[in-house]
Amino acid sequence: MRRIESLIDTNAADYKANYAAMSERLKEFHARQHAARFERPQRDIDRLERQNKLGVRERLKLLLDPGTPFLEFSTLAACREYDGTVPGAAVVTGIGIVQGREVAIHANDASVKGGAWYPHTVKKVVRLLDVALENRLPVVHICDSAGGFLPLQHGVFPDRYLGGRVFRNQVKLSQANIPQIAVVGGHCTAGGAYVPTLSDYNIIIEGTGAIFLGGPPLVKAATGEDVGVQELGGAVMHTSVSGTGDYRAATEQHAFSLAREIVSQWKRTPKTIIETASYEEPYYEPKELYGIIPKDRKTQFDMREVLARIVDGSRFHEYQPDYGTTMICGYAHIWGYKVGILANNGVLFNDSSLKAAHFIQLCNQNRTPLVFFQNITGYMVGREYEERGIAKDGAKMLMAQGGSVVPKFTVIANASYGAGNYGMCGRAWDARTLFMWPQAEIGVMGADQAANTMADVKIRQLQREGKELSEEEIAAIRDPVLEKFRRDVEAYTSTSELWDDGILDPADTRNALGMSISASLNAPIDDPHYGIFRL
Amino acid sequence: MQRIFQIDGEETECWLGHDGSRFVLNTPNGTVACQLDPTGLPGGYTLRAKGVVRELRLAVGPEATFVHMNGRTYEVGRVDPAERLAGSDGGTGDDRLVAPMPGVVVSVAVKPGDTVKEGQPLLVIESMKLETTLTAPRDGVVAEMPFAEGDSFGLKDILAQLAPEEE
Repeated sequence: MRRIESLIDTNAADYKANYAAMSERLKEFHARQHAARFERPQRDIDRLERQNKLGVRERLKLLLDPGTPFLEFSTLAACREYDGTVPGAAVVTGIGIVQGREVAIHANDASVKGGAWYPHTVKKVVRLLDVALENRLPVVHICDSAGGFLPLQHGVFPDRYLGGRVFRNQVKLSQANIPQIAVVGGHCTAGGAYVPTLSDYNIIIEGTGAIFLGGPPLVKAATGEDVGVQELGGAVMHTSVSGTGDYRAATEQHAFSLAREIVSQWKRTPKTIIETASYEEPYYEPKELYGIIPKDRKTQFDMREVLARIVDGSRFHEYQPDYGTTMICGYAHIWGYKVGILANNGVLFNDSSLKAAHFIQLCNQNRTPLVFFQNITGYMVGREYEERGIAKDGAKMLMAQGGSVVPKFTVIANASYGAGNYGMCGRAWDARTLFMWPQAEIGVMGADQAANTMADVKIRQLQREGKELSEEEIAAIRDPVLEKFRRDVEAYTSTSELWDDGILDPADTRNALGMSISASLNAPIDDPHYGIFRL
Repeated sequence: MQRIFQIDGEETECWLGHDGSRFVLNTPNGTVACQLDPTGLPGGYTLRAKGVVRELRLAVGPEATFVHMNGRTYEVGRVDPAERLAGSDGGTGDDRLVAPMPGVVVSVAVKPGDTVKEGQPLLVIESMKLETTLTAPRDGVVAEMPFAEGDSFGLKDILAQLAPEEE
């Protein structure tokens, strides 16, 4: 495979300006990520210490193989909700390595509101268990939760993808022969009691861990019975009397070494074999991405320059290089795994859509996972294009993409607008993982377009009522709408709402994709089959 | 020939094959039987070809392989045949810049009579929320810039015209 020849001049003024702008953004991003992971009010840290419990990050350190990567999902979930008081949505999720095998991890963060389940907590846990199901990854649950956050119980409990879905997914995992273990390092009350009890194995830490459908205060209120935490649902009672718990651990350290021992007993299923090549670092420096991504979101850039800083050896075999040139298709390797790449180099036209549809079918036929790099403002509009059947050709692309049997991965590298988001495997289209870059934007249309449309409707309505509006009055209507829209399309809004699996420093994209692809191969790949293509 | 190697700067076509009993090196001048056996030393091999026996040492790098033999080091690089044989298909650039889609001119960087270099920005257009910089397809002199800043244009309109190249 040939190396992409980069035309980037790292001394050019615009490269340096872009680099400075991205570095500034990343400084903010890393600071926010650090705060979400580690910064807590002193009283919460004191409380954990008083309860003789380790923090969630220390627990992960005890669980995971030293020196191995942990692909954390949605670190900034809920960052724009609850006035920012529920960092990470009070839960840590991700893919990590335990005894040499890839596992999905769901760990309550008791330093945030006692690990209570907020609406975004539930969304994050359900997503993690979906990842486990799709990729057939064993799950380690680390339970330490105060239970559902009662003031918001309607956002936690009743709907299809809320609380019940956590347990439903646990059942489906078990049914699919995917093992689960729970380490109980705090209280598992009410619904929470089902996390350890639906796991194949569970460990309760003496003194701190407890499982019950109703805690002591609720029992007292309901029946008048006076009972302590330990007698009601402590480690000794459950492991020797009820059989609800399997193992009793003397300390946190003991619990996690037991958990590691149990994981190592599980049967190993051979991974799916795809084409591979020997591992090669990119020839071009990944940090150069900072200077390539324009500081103005509207400025066009060559996605090949991005690929050259992500794929093995910067090598890329481009498919149909002279046809439908706004859609780049081709083969490359990431961490040695062969992938088919689709990357936007402009608007999707008829020819670029057809090229994408054809290339996706090629990849399904030869079992090559697909990686999408989005910088898409949409499918082309206008009479000329409608007459050529742009909607019909877009439908072909969706039919091929949505009907794919190979694992798909998506990076929203810049713009993700309208139906282009769908064609390029947006959130609704089952990408195994989907990440966003910090300057990227997502929305049904651009903020300016949306705000102008909304403001114009309002202004015309007032004019019909006979009101003459001055420039200032028009601005007073338009500006707040524009400001709201600009905020709504930002990556931080997306990641807060879990429309993605997290924001990435662009230089980390290669490793995030490598881990995602590796994890996806725990699941088999079906034979290709599709719906009906409108020809 | 399917493989091209560069040995000390000189290109050689050859292909290593097997005739059922031994390795043969196919070259444009015929085939040569050859045998390479490890000696046990790091990178050490014994090469037998054309009745000659030679001790050599090999070092394999990402870009080239180095062969040390007879007190000399030869650098052997692989040339990508698809790249080598592609020819200069870029050809000479067109005289015209044609609109890839309808849109609006954001800015114009040159005026008729200006001398431009290949790849130099001529104008910036906006369409579908994207600003695209259109660059000179070849070195030359600008003949016409039909659209000014703020003008709308249609699909396939000519956005810039270079003066014809003199033979």
